[in-house]
Amino acid sequence: MQEKDLIKKLQDLKQIKPDTDWAFWLKSNILQTEPNNLYNKPRVKLAVFSYISKYQKVAIPSLLAFFLVSSFAFAQTTLPGNVLYPIKTLTQNAKIYLASENTKPVVRLEVAKARMEDLSKIENHEKEISAITQNVRKDLEIVTQEIKKINKKQVALNVSKDIQERSKNLKELADKISLDDKEREEFNKDEENYQSQVLALIIETTEEINQCPSYLKDKLVDFGKYFIETEEGSYQWSQDDIIKSRNLFIEANDAFKAGDCLTAIDKIESVNQLLSIYSLDVQVETETPEK
Amino acid sequence: MDKQEFSEFYDKNIDKVFRFVYLRVDTTETAQDLTSLAFLKLWRRQDSEISNPTAFLYRIARNQIIDFYRQKSKKPISLDKVGEIADFQVAQPTFSQKIELTLEMERIKKVLYNIKPVYADVIIWHYVDEMPIKDIAQVLEKREGNVRVIIHRALQALKEQLEV
Repeated sequence: MQEKDLIKKLQDLKQIKPDTDWAFWLKSNILQTEPNNLYNKPRVKLAVFSYISKYQKVAIPSLLAFFLVSSFAFAQTTLPGNVLYPIKTLTQNAKIYLASENTKPVVRLEVAKARMEDLSKIENHEKEISAITQNVRKDLEIVTQEIKKINKKQVALNVSKDIQERSKNLKELADKISLDDKEREEFNKDEENYQSQVLALIIETTEEINQCPSYLKDKLVDFGKYFIETEEGSYQWSQDDIIKSRNLFIEANDAFKAGDCLTAIDKIESVNQLLSIYSLDVQVETETPEK
Repeated sequence: MDKQEFSEFYDKNIDKVFRFVYLRVDTTETAQDLTSLAFLKLWRRQDSEISNPTAFLYRIARNQIIDFYRQKSKKPISLDKVGEIADFQVAQPTFSQKIELTLEMERIKKVLYNIKPVYADVIIWHYVDEMPIKDIAQVLEKREGNVRVIIHRALQALKEQLEV
């Protein structure tokens, strides 16, 4: 093919033209927009990160995560005075914070004991030893307060007994710590006080639980008999009240078994009120025909 | 460039730019999109001094084509995406006019695909649109002498391909 022919053929391509409607549409659309409003500043990436490749973008967070997890795990083996020890205490505090109301005293006591064990392994860190011992003493004080916060008496009793059992080696642990005489004396005093408080809680709670049965037990037995002996058809009560009273009775029974005397009394009282209302109704009904 | 000037410039160049893009891409719709983007970018750049708007427009269109193929090689590019990138109204009405090409024109279009992109560019600009070498040099940011060499080689490459 001659160059001339080729150029001729190329010039034939001039016949290619855009759709006139489209061309008109495009022009009017562009002109409708204000150029200044459309001008977009280029997105600027921070030059510091510009060298980070796609793979590095994945690798760097992964490495950071790995580093964090490793530091976190390693921190659990550290002792006071180590740079990572605050991470360990932070984890322990989180454990306490996340524990339920019923387990919080036990968790706090175990953390305190773990800190005492850590202290027993170090020497020449008077400042850290003194600070952590202070915290342990505060924790022991809080343990007893937390037991008091447990609502159910039976649970509180069980926790108190568990705490008492777990606290047996507290003095032994304290003896291993390099405390000065004054601090040791103070710690021993607090520890004794704490042991007495726990024992007092056990005694108090046991007494509270034991006081319940004489009053409540009789009531529960009476109601139990009433519900069993009274035949279904002989009730003058509405169906809703029958269900309500039976549920209250069951709840009272459960509360009693759990050692929650106050709730049990409250429920029994509600059943009592229902019974008195219906006894009155019966009387009114019997009296009315005579009139 | 005010609206009036742009309007005149647009009317003068729309056919050429569309044709250039159309000969370098596969579909009419893609050619329409890339041409839209080229004119839109020119309109947006009114605030800056442009000594040769035609050369500038071709450079934008050429870059659009390069970007289009770069995106296409990574993943199929959605034309909606092109619109999104441009932050431009993409709900285009359908302009279904089919461009009628003779068999010979079809053949040349296909061959233009098979030669080096820069050869295809200069052939379209120089022989189809009759753009002066000076302007082509501006678009390619090369010396005029270099452009002449490229045009010569481009024509040879096209001839070879057509003779295959």
